[in-house]
Amino acid sequence: MLEVKELTKHFPVKGKRGRVVHAVDGINFKLRKGETLGLVGESGCGKSTLARTIIRIYEPTSGQVFLKGQDISGLSVRELKPIRKLMQMIFQDPYSSLNARMTIRDIIAEPLRAHKICHTKAEENELVFEMLDMVGLGTEHALRYAHEFSGGQRQRIGIARALILRPELVICDEPISALDVSIQAQIVNLLKKFQEDLNLTYLFIAHDLSMVRYVSDKVGVMYLGHLVELCEAEEIYNNPLHPYTKGLLGSVPIPSPRLARQKKKSEIEGDIPSPISPPSGCRFHTRCKYATERCKAEAPKWQEVTTNHFVACHLHD
Amino acid sequence: MIEDYKITAADWEPLDFDTEDAEKIVAKNRTFLGDVVFRFSRKTSALIGIALIVLLCIFAFVGPYFSPYSFDTQSLEFANLPPRMKAAEVNGNYYYLSPNLKVIALSDDGVVKSTLTKQSEDGINKRMVFVDEDQEITVDYQTIPAVILSAENESQIARTKNIWNSKYLLGTDGLGRDMLTRLMFGTRISMIVAFIATFVNMTIGMIYGGISAYAGGMTDIIMMRIVDIISTIPLTLYVILIMVLMEDGFLSIIVALSSVYWVSMARVVRGQITVLKNSEFVLAARTIGSNSTTILFRHLLPNAMGPILVTATMLVPSAIFMEAFLGFIGLGISPPMASLGTMANDALQGLRTAPYQLFLPAAVICLIMFAFNFVGDGLRDALDPKMKK
Repeated sequence: MLEVKELTKHFPVKGKRGRVVHAVDGINFKLRKGETLGLVGESGCGKSTLARTIIRIYEPTSGQVFLKGQDISGLSVRELKPIRKLMQMIFQDPYSSLNARMTIRDIIAEPLRAHKICHTKAEENELVFEMLDMVGLGTEHALRYAHEFSGGQRQRIGIARALILRPELVICDEPISALDVSIQAQIVNLLKKFQEDLNLTYLFIAHDLSMVRYVSDKVGVMYLGHLVELCEAEEIYNNPLHPYTKGLLGSVPIPSPRLARQKKKSEIEGDIPSPISPPSGCRFHTRCKYATERCKAEAPKWQEVTTNHFVACHLHD
Repeated sequence: MIEDYKITAADWEPLDFDTEDAEKIVAKNRTFLGDVVFRFSRKTSALIGIALIVLLCIFAFVGPYFSPYSFDTQSLEFANLPPRMKAAEVNGNYYYLSPNLKVIALSDDGVVKSTLTKQSEDGINKRMVFVDEDQEITVDYQTIPAVILSAENESQIARTKNIWNSKYLLGTDGLGRDMLTRLMFGTRISMIVAFIATFVNMTIGMIYGGISAYAGGMTDIIMMRIVDIISTIPLTLYVILIMVLMEDGFLSIIVALSSVYWVSMARVVRGQITVLKNSEFVLAARTIGSNSTTILFRHLLPNAMGPILVTATMLVPSAIFMEAFLGFIGLGISPPMASLGTMANDALQGLRTAPYQLFLPAAVICLIMFAFNFVGDGLRDALDPKMKK
């Protein structure tokens, strides 16, 4: 369904000629139809940039993105338009992702209008109302404005807007991190229900590891623009290979004080280095307690250690 | 009534949890516009401003139809009549002695009737005699101001009384034209100039700023540097130069004002759009596949409308002021058409004897400026969503 090959996105640094932010650097992965890939990593590691580069909000610096076998990374805006129908995005902040000057009906109908799907207003209304019903919002709210809704309701409006074109791939850019916990489950369950009903493929970005475990078939871990580990969801929790993944898992809060006391403290120390001048060799060596001279000098290769378990670390050569 | 009500055990049963209820929004459906109107109407100064503008518009656009005079109807014999006259009573008739020693007969309710003809002048005693029908009126100008002497006793000053001028309510100017009517026409010119100039500025500014911000990159830099260059030239100077090049008149004022003031509007629009361009709902529109026109006109501009409207309302008083200023320095509307600025300019020659001729147009300019500034303030508060209660 989706294949990403050596995808790279660098942003130029203002005022410093020739220097760039290495937001996303040589990412490879494949995603089959109906699967969910969860992407995790610290803030600023390039998860959102990756998502936005795949959906072509940003132009990729190099590398390719294949959607159903077609390379979409070099397409012009006009050539991209039919692709947009296959690929949609759900945004992080339900407050800023809906236009405050438009009614809900207009917001959800916008994709229909952009692709000229409906010929009559009645046809359009029917599709919009059906979609509203599917996300559990009453049709009587169609003429209200976004600011009148709660966060969870707004996120469902965002989902309705993304799904009304019946896309096959949906990129969820932290769709739940701006919501409170009771609503998070509601939204995630809604997303899962749509996946079953419409056979959707998700690229699910989050920093909540327990939520990622619940929704994902595969989990990818990102660090400073690199994908450091990628495998089946259960495998990564039971058998993490990369020291960074271990550290991340070690920092998941445990909802029981007794168990939490027994747990070791998080293994990762220090701050994420600057993506403008990332460390040489393995980018994690500055914070890795297993780091050797080799890690500083040589970048680890992206390799399949066991079946479907990819990792980039010299410890597992 | 209350005793009658029996609480039964069934009342304590929990209600069924209805998922429909959880999604219900109880608050009244209020549109954005409704919200703005609500917040605007709670600000007294803004309401006063709106009321003033409405009154001024009625004054300027409806008023002239009720006036017996036009802006260029002149009667030289009644020049420089103030709104309130000091009338001397001689044998039951009232006479107004103007500062340039003309005697004007009045009726007792303040209607000016005619200027009297001078019969004789005694240069040694500094006395003049005027004739009204069969009656003689003596003016003594030994002292300043001159006085009308009483009819019975040559050495006594006639009794005086202040009477409102009821033929020319706000007096006349140096050419004997009705001030009130000229004020109406002047306000009308000011309003029309201001509205058209603001509208043109708003359109140019929105298009220019919108394109600059939406295109971004090099286009943005070049377009904004052009704006910077234009704004370093003092706008007043620029307007004056344009006015000098073109011939006097209504059109050239509008062209001059419209071609200059869009600079600030372009900056405001550009700032707004630059911020909004990267907000998530615009990114969403792009991932949806909406075209640039939709994004610019359905997403960006409606969301930037608040500051644009405020800037536009603030632009109105400065355009009015500029028009008045141009009129004042003699570059504005060509005579005999009245404009507040030319009226103020005309008043300068007779400032000591007829100060009302300057104060009246000045007061109207003040009123207009006050009104628009109040409304602009109110709009800014009403459109700022952070002020929402």
